[in-house]
Amino acid sequence: MEIMNHTLRKSVIACFAIGSLLTTAGCGDGDSSSSSSDRPSVVVTYSILGAVVADVVGDAADVKILMPNGIDPHEWEPSAKDIELLNQADLIVSNGLDLEGNVMEAIEAAEKDGVAVFHATDHIDVIEFGVSVHDDDEEAGHDDELGSGDPHFWTSPVEMAAVVEALGVALADIGIDTGDRAAMTKEDLLNTDQEVRDLIAAIPAESRILVTGHESLGYFAHEYEFEVVGAVIPSLSSEAEASAGDLATLKEIIADEGVSVIFTEMGTSPDVVEALAAEAKVSVVELSTHFLPEDGTYETFILQLASMISVALQP
Amino acid sequence: MGNLVRPFLDNEFLQRAFLAGVLVSLTCAVVGTYVVLRGMAFIGDALAHGVLPGVAGALMIGMPAMAGAAVGAAVMVGGVGLITARSKLSNDTAIGLLFIGLLALGVVMVSSADSLTGDLEAILFGQFLGVNTSDLVAQSIALGFVVVVAVVAARPFLLLCFDADLVSAMGYRATWYHRLMLLLIAATVVVSFQAVGALLVFGMLLAPAGVGALISKRIGTMMLWAALVGVVSTYVGLLASYHFSWAAGASVVLTAVTIFFVVFTGVSIRHSIVGDRS
Repeated sequence: MEIMNHTLRKSVIACFAIGSLLTTAGCGDGDSSSSSSDRPSVVVTYSILGAVVADVVGDAADVKILMPNGIDPHEWEPSAKDIELLNQADLIVSNGLDLEGNVMEAIEAAEKDGVAVFHATDHIDVIEFGVSVHDDDEEAGHDDELGSGDPHFWTSPVEMAAVVEALGVALADIGIDTGDRAAMTKEDLLNTDQEVRDLIAAIPAESRILVTGHESLGYFAHEYEFEVVGAVIPSLSSEAEASAGDLATLKEIIADEGVSVIFTEMGTSPDVVEALAAEAKVSVVELSTHFLPEDGTYETFILQLASMISVALQP
Repeated sequence: MGNLVRPFLDNEFLQRAFLAGVLVSLTCAVVGTYVVLRGMAFIGDALAHGVLPGVAGALMIGMPAMAGAAVGAAVMVGGVGLITARSKLSNDTAIGLLFIGLLALGVVMVSSADSLTGDLEAILFGQFLGVNTSDLVAQSIALGFVVVVAVVAARPFLLLCFDADLVSAMGYRATWYHRLMLLLIAATVVVSFQAVGALLVFGMLLAPAGVGALISKRIGTMMLWAALVGVVSTYVGLLASYHFSWAAGASVVLTAVTIFFVVFTGVSIRHSIVGDRS
């Protein structure tokens, strides 16, 4: 059995090699244009929050976005240059609640070195996954997910407005004066909220049912009285893999609740969604839940999201 | 009984996954037996992961992933051949270098393309539950090709496995058949990875064929055992994925590897009782 031993040993070595490579996957370059201006530097972890922070900050500081727009924040890992950017920042604005799982260590290290850190989700009403959203459906949540906070607060402009207010205070605390920009941005966000309500007004109450890629629309649903009845990957992160049991449960839910559309998104396997949709005889609409549209504004992002949902769900 | 069959009857995606798993199992039973007997697991693993940059490149320029995988596999096999022919370095050094080099290239490519990150796991771990009809057709063609080659080249392959020196003595060209065997492994990996992922292909190449090699000494019987173990693992693994909500591909591989160790333990105990330590 010499052959077998040899074979196994090689495989084990190979597996370790893959493991160590995979952990460095996704070292993107970031938007780190290292301009040497005198203004303080505010580093935001991802693009959607970054667009809003840039509105608040205006000319008072340089706003730099860590993750390139379009990348999945659940999976992204920083490069050495990105960590340098974090360490040289005057303020780091992060989402929190494990969204940027692979950046948190670097942020904590920077914080220890005296960089101010603002976690957006410290300033919102956190939805506990598997509790608030699924409070009448015990099956939908998984035990290991119970009690973990949903990080996707940016799907609600109202929560975003609360974050903006707190951010204005945090900026003032470290000596970045933004005047009344925080109040103005908050005002804009609340106007946007009204526009979203107008957009979705035509969706009848009984059609306000969402099936998503992973659990990413909790705050949107909570704000605008939708119910998220299931997800292809019932996890707060897009990193989990689909299981036969979850898919079969979702198929039943789709039939029972009369769902007509699966809203998929980046990070969810298109093949799996297509297979499920074909079998359950529903259509698939792809939403951009984790990155900014072309004009780079939060307003367009949330209005686009709302109008796609609205168009798909109207009878 | 209902819990064992009903999930498959109720869900087409499980039927397709099972069918894909059976096709992969049969292909891997044939190819994997050669891999295990000739100690070619490392090249199999290297192929399964070395195709990554090819796939990433193909996705970036909008080509079919399978074409990219084929290019990746060709670079892998060609590179190993070149290094071993032109230097004194051993086969596994050459494989290791290309393996890690291609994998690193793939990771760098995926990380520099803003839209591909999520696909990395899909490439390595597959979309077992998203298998579609064209995947099944490609898999059937690969199985047909592998079986035909294995039947036609049965004798030289057998000699390669048990007495490589005899291959040339019998008038066969040993390197030629070695390359043909590499082609079979590459074809299996390239066709199967898209449906079931590199992890699953590699697991199905080794574990069932390993069981076959433990309990039989004849190549045909080994392949039959390997096929049986592969099909049973597919069924049990998918069932576990259904009832316990486990990731599908990993459940199947875990079942196959568990079967290997159960059989291994059984065979070891039997050997120590009988005293047959050949």
